[in-house]
Amino acid sequence: MQISETTSGASARLALNGRFDFHSHRDFRNAYEKLLADAAVPDIEVNFASVDYLDSSALGMLLLLREKAESSGKKVTLSGLKGTVRQVLEIANFGKLFSIKD
Amino acid sequence: MSRPLKILIADDTPINAKPVEIVARKLGHEVILAADGIEAVERYQDSTPDLVVMDIMMPRMDGLEAVRQIRALPVDRWVPILFYSALDGIDDIVNGLALGADDYLTKPANLQLIRAKLQVYARILALQDAVHEQNLELAAWRAEAEAQSELGRHVMERLVDANGLSDPMLRWVNLPAQTFSGDLLCAARTPDDALYVMLADATGHGLASALTALPLTQIFYGMTAKGFPLPSMVSELNRKLKQLLPADRFVAATLASIDIRTQTIEVWNGGNPKAILIDEEGTILRQFASTHLPLGILPPELFSHATELMRFSGPCELILFSDGVLEAEDPAGERLGLGGVLRLLDDAPAGERFEHLYVGVVNHMDAVEGHDDVSILAVNIPRESRQEPRLLSRVPHLAGQVVSEWQLSLSWGIQELRSLDVVPVLLSMIGQVHALAGHQGALFILLSELYNNALDHGLLGLDSSIKNQENGYERYLAERASRLARMNSGRIDMDFHLHMAENRAVFDITFIDSGAGFDFGRYLIEHREDAEPEVDKAHGRGILLLRSVCESLVYSGCGNRVTARYAL
Repeated sequence: MQISETTSGASARLALNGRFDFHSHRDFRNAYEKLLADAAVPDIEVNFASVDYLDSSALGMLLLLREKAESSGKKVTLSGLKGTVRQVLEIANFGKLFSIKD
Repeated sequence: MSRPLKILIADDTPINAKPVEIVARKLGHEVILAADGIEAVERYQDSTPDLVVMDIMMPRMDGLEAVRQIRALPVDRWVPILFYSALDGIDDIVNGLALGADDYLTKPANLQLIRAKLQVYARILALQDAVHEQNLELAAWRAEAEAQSELGRHVMERLVDANGLSDPMLRWVNLPAQTFSGDLLCAARTPDDALYVMLADATGHGLASALTALPLTQIFYGMTAKGFPLPSMVSELNRKLKQLLPADRFVAATLASIDIRTQTIEVWNGGNPKAILIDEEGTILRQFASTHLPLGILPPELFSHATELMRFSGPCELILFSDGVLEAEDPAGERLGLGGVLRLLDDAPAGERFEHLYVGVVNHMDAVEGHDDVSILAVNIPRESRQEPRLLSRVPHLAGQVVSEWQLSLSWGIQELRSLDVVPVLLSMIGQVHALAGHQGALFILLSELYNNALDHGLLGLDSSIKNQENGYERYLAERASRLARMNSGRIDMDFHLHMAENRAVFDITFIDSGAGFDFGRYLIEHREDAEPEVDKAHGRGILLLRSVCESLVYSGCGNRVTARYAL
């Protein structure tokens, strides 16, 4: 999975591309740990527009990100959800844990 | 960095071999010499060199034959062989390489070239060493992983209570993606014969899912056996998993309670695909969607155990399945999806929906590898209107059995009545008494009915006839919850007395509630033994049921006091 990072004013954005599964663990973690350590970044947006597959280990990674973001005092938003990716997150009711943007 | 090599030089003319030998020794390598092909093969076998420099034209056996023989030997590593020969035609070179040599140097070779070549091979061999080390480590890890997977499988097999799943109302299948399935299917009966089922899908596979399954099964079987309500079990499952699991692990679960006696289905779904209730004609009666987060994520104070409840009025089937069913891909990569599942259920002949779904999923996957764990559980729900539940643990009255006297008195205030699951607590206390073991089923019925009467009707003043109306059951429970929350005073006193009466062992249970009672005298006149079961149920105090379980039932006071005598 490729991850590209863009920062615009209030939030940093991680745009994910490809399959978000068990193999993405290290890359995803490195990407968000960098942002969490940066005091200038208040919020993190994770964009799924180019993600074609999401499994339960990806959900686990999002939970980990959420926990770490909370202890850094930052907010996490999920965006660009569509198709099966959207369905997976809906079944898991992750809307109760994350704010979701289009 | 490269290490010193052991180099075998085979040449029948010492003068030719000398330059190579000197260069090799100068680079720090060890040199072994052979004078012809036969010696070359012998030296190769007894000194295991890392590299061979081979002349071609030699007596007794030439270099070409020597290379053929060397390459025919069993190997666990690659040993480069360089031909060092005066034969410099293209055919000679090509032929030599085809036989199994890796390089060809023509004599006389420049010393610097020889030196450079030797260093190249030293570098490549160092690389081979590193890869070999990694392979050994990988093999060890793999063996360890297989052993762990085997342990996981062993534990999982023993965790799942096969007896519960062989219930005649159930059909199920669990297809593992790997050695064993990480999906967990459980089923058990409560003391009053309600069927509880659970389909749990933990993140991860192998040992990780087996580890997660351990607390799940212990809680499921333990609490079902004690007759805890489904919401209490779900809360406990979540609490335990939240405590045990790291932040990125969770369990998607569907729990359902099917009670034939009250004709209700209760479902909690957190993170699994919809559970589907379908009738005999194939009409979808209800889809129980996931309305909660999976287990193990939210702390107890944020967790919701709210279940969906519905009444069924005819034979139907409740079908639970895991994510792997929706995600099942055909050779073209198309997911089966919920649409595919509903189509399969719709196309199925009545009475064969489970089989049709199962076969349909397998056909869809068409032996494609790499699917997720696929599990399906179908509960076949008959229309059976029974007043008296099947009591699984019926112990015949033993004439002449003598018991030692035992008495327990309890008093419950409004705090406990609001927050505790009183009946399972009572049952576990009373169940410890030796003489009462084996009467769990009947006692559970008795205690449940007496308690419900004392609380629902005595203290809260609820009317059971609401239950028979449209959506009555849900409204009844909502009204009950609301009144219980508002209530700020009230008591239920209980007395339990095991003793001998007229040479028989009997167990007397007395309940006294602080409510207004009811006109039991009139009730007993109007509703005699031959009353319609439905009518009796409608008035809610389940007296007919109580009478079928105990020997005598006596009301006194203003109707707020009752003593039931149960004969052992």
